[in-house]
Amino acid sequence: MRDRPAPTSVRVALGILAALVVAACGSSTQGATPKTYSGTLTFASFNPFTGPDASFGPEMNAGCIVAAHLINKSNGVLGHQVQCLTVDTRGDPADAVPAAEKMIATTTNLVGMNGPSSDEALATVPIIDRAHLPMFGDTGQKAFDQSTYQYFWRLTPPDDAAGIAMAVYAYNKGYRRGAAVFGSDLSSQGNVPNLLTAFKKLGGQIVINQQLALDQSSYRSEVEAIIAANPDVLFTEADPQTDAAVLSQLQQLGKLIPVVGTQPTVQPPWGQAVSGAIGAGNLAQIFAGAQPYAPSSGPAYDVENTELLASGSDIPNPVQWQADPYTETDYDAVIMMALAMLMAKTPDPSFYNQYISQVVAPGGTEVHSYAEGMAAIAAGKKITYVGAGGSISLDKFHNSSGAFEIVGYAPDGTNPQLSVVSAADIAKYKS
Amino acid sequence: MNQLIPAVGFGLITASILCIAAVGFTLQFSVTNILNLAYGDIMTACAFVAYLANHAGVNIWISMAIAALFGAVFSALINRFVYFQFVRRGTRLFGMIIVTIAMSLIIQNVLLAIFRPTFFSYKASPGSSYNFGGMIFTGSQLAIIGIAVASMLAIHLISTRTKLGKAMRATATNPSLARSCGIATDQVIDAAWLLSGALCGIAGVAFVLNTATFSEVTGATFLVPIIAAAILGGIGQPYGAMLGALTIGLASEIAASAINPSYKDVVAFVILIVVLLVRPQGILSEVASAKEVAA
Repeated sequence: MRDRPAPTSVRVALGILAALVVAACGSSTQGATPKTYSGTLTFASFNPFTGPDASFGPEMNAGCIVAAHLINKSNGVLGHQVQCLTVDTRGDPADAVPAAEKMIATTTNLVGMNGPSSDEALATVPIIDRAHLPMFGDTGQKAFDQSTYQYFWRLTPPDDAAGIAMAVYAYNKGYRRGAAVFGSDLSSQGNVPNLLTAFKKLGGQIVINQQLALDQSSYRSEVEAIIAANPDVLFTEADPQTDAAVLSQLQQLGKLIPVVGTQPTVQPPWGQAVSGAIGAGNLAQIFAGAQPYAPSSGPAYDVENTELLASGSDIPNPVQWQADPYTETDYDAVIMMALAMLMAKTPDPSFYNQYISQVVAPGGTEVHSYAEGMAAIAAGKKITYVGAGGSISLDKFHNSSGAFEIVGYAPDGTNPQLSVVSAADIAKYKS
Repeated sequence: MNQLIPAVGFGLITASILCIAAVGFTLQFSVTNILNLAYGDIMTACAFVAYLANHAGVNIWISMAIAALFGAVFSALINRFVYFQFVRRGTRLFGMIIVTIAMSLIIQNVLLAIFRPTFFSYKASPGSSYNFGGMIFTGSQLAIIGIAVASMLAIHLISTRTKLGKAMRATATNPSLARSCGIATDQVIDAAWLLSGALCGIAGVAFVLNTATFSEVTGATFLVPIIAAAILGGIGQPYGAMLGALTIGLASEIAASAINPSYKDVVAFVILIVVLLVRPQGILSEVASAKEVAA
């Protein structure tokens, strides 16, 4: 006896369910064959382009544009030209989440990205990872030190390492009474715990740990509290307007003391705001900033820098990014993704993502540019890409970090190097 | 205790800036019934106008006057060509709030497009520091306090001693009755926007003189304390806004010295909530109550 056939509505429902299951499987795991692409491939620069951290985006995108130029000069990737797309997160998770969803849903041939920054990483990394899009975060958050996100990569050191570098530099300069004056935002506060621990371990004392609510009309009470604690050095990271107000009010009270800042304080908008508030000469006398150390020399840097300076109107005022470690690592990230595509023989992110670590794996033929890497891969060689930001060593959590350099501020807006805090020192004082 | 007296001084500076801004804000609301959330952005636009004048070699105080003039004209134009068009079509209070938010975003983004995302400072020295019984002020801060006092006095005189002031008060209380009494309410409303726009311009420059730098979003960050001061005093009440500004300015700075500066906004807004729980219509309430009924 034949079974009674299911009613039509049940069969339709089962059919839809089966289709949904198949579709879901297809979207959540690597398919058997790579997707095919036609036209230009897109790398996104997913960072704040407006808001308090608006300087992050142009810094990142400069690296992407330089890499895209060089890739396109070598006939692109697997026959595709490449381009950079700016996606503004406004430095706020509330804006960044819809921006990420829109980027993923609407960008044609989106194959990789730089970002997110610390401002929006916790909210957006899971979304981007779920979309199987390789991302090179410039977030320094500790949460990503042992990241298990398959598509998350990081070439810059964590924020908490910056705190140690600041402590080591200040102690070596003879400062013993530190004021930790950081913005109340997530990104700034990420530096504080290791700064406090490291400065204490070194023998110094944090005499006041002052959180700053951002963009207030006045910080006179905060400044009074700082002065009352009698520090001999001020550690800081806050948005340019906040730090400019605090330092100008310190100056008005005649108590401008040496300042050691983080990487955002080395960026042009911070220098512009604070030098406008207290005078460029005064800032030059008191300022030191810790940023990830990129030697800004070597064959890969030369390739990147030459193209950067020749970028014309694509990158406004390119000189400002000439020795910027984030621009260099963002450049490296795009080159690495492109080389991984060549190794995987497809731009499909689900396929090439696993080749990213192989691009920089030791033991291969050392290459310093996309063109060199492409030639070596075509010749069937294993490669070891050494980037504009120096050699890259990825751990099992997709992290690569190293030393910090301490730079000053010159009245012409440049940042001369003052010293280097080694990776060994960072490791020694890490809690 | 030794930080309490300086804190009162800091509170006076904050209160002075807040006072100029909040009186302008509340004046707009009292006469037109529009809660203009683009107010902070108009402040920023005025700060940029002063910046352009200042960097063209004009003294900062004259630049402030230019900004006040710009603020007056700009505000009146926004009202005449945008807000008034919606009011004429019968858009209610909530709808108008959305329109003002849209205007806020438009101004912010136009400023961003023109000036790019970076920070700006005036070429102005804060001047020497002066100590008054433990309260320390710079020359420019004393000037800001003086300008605030002069502005409030001017508002008081205009409001009580001139026909315009009486017409504004009549329009604020009952526009239909004012019209039927022969008051040209449209012109009165224009005058109110000119006056409040001028205060907005002065507040924008004073705010930037205190913060030392600014960007396209600076004014918007100051909007919440402005609204808080206006509401605390009784929305639509210029004298109430003065009182609200003084309360919030002093409370936040004194709290910062007594507890922890991180909590100064928290304390100010706890005071706001407590006062509104006891007196929902604000400290000075009559017009505010009438407005609520009208809305």
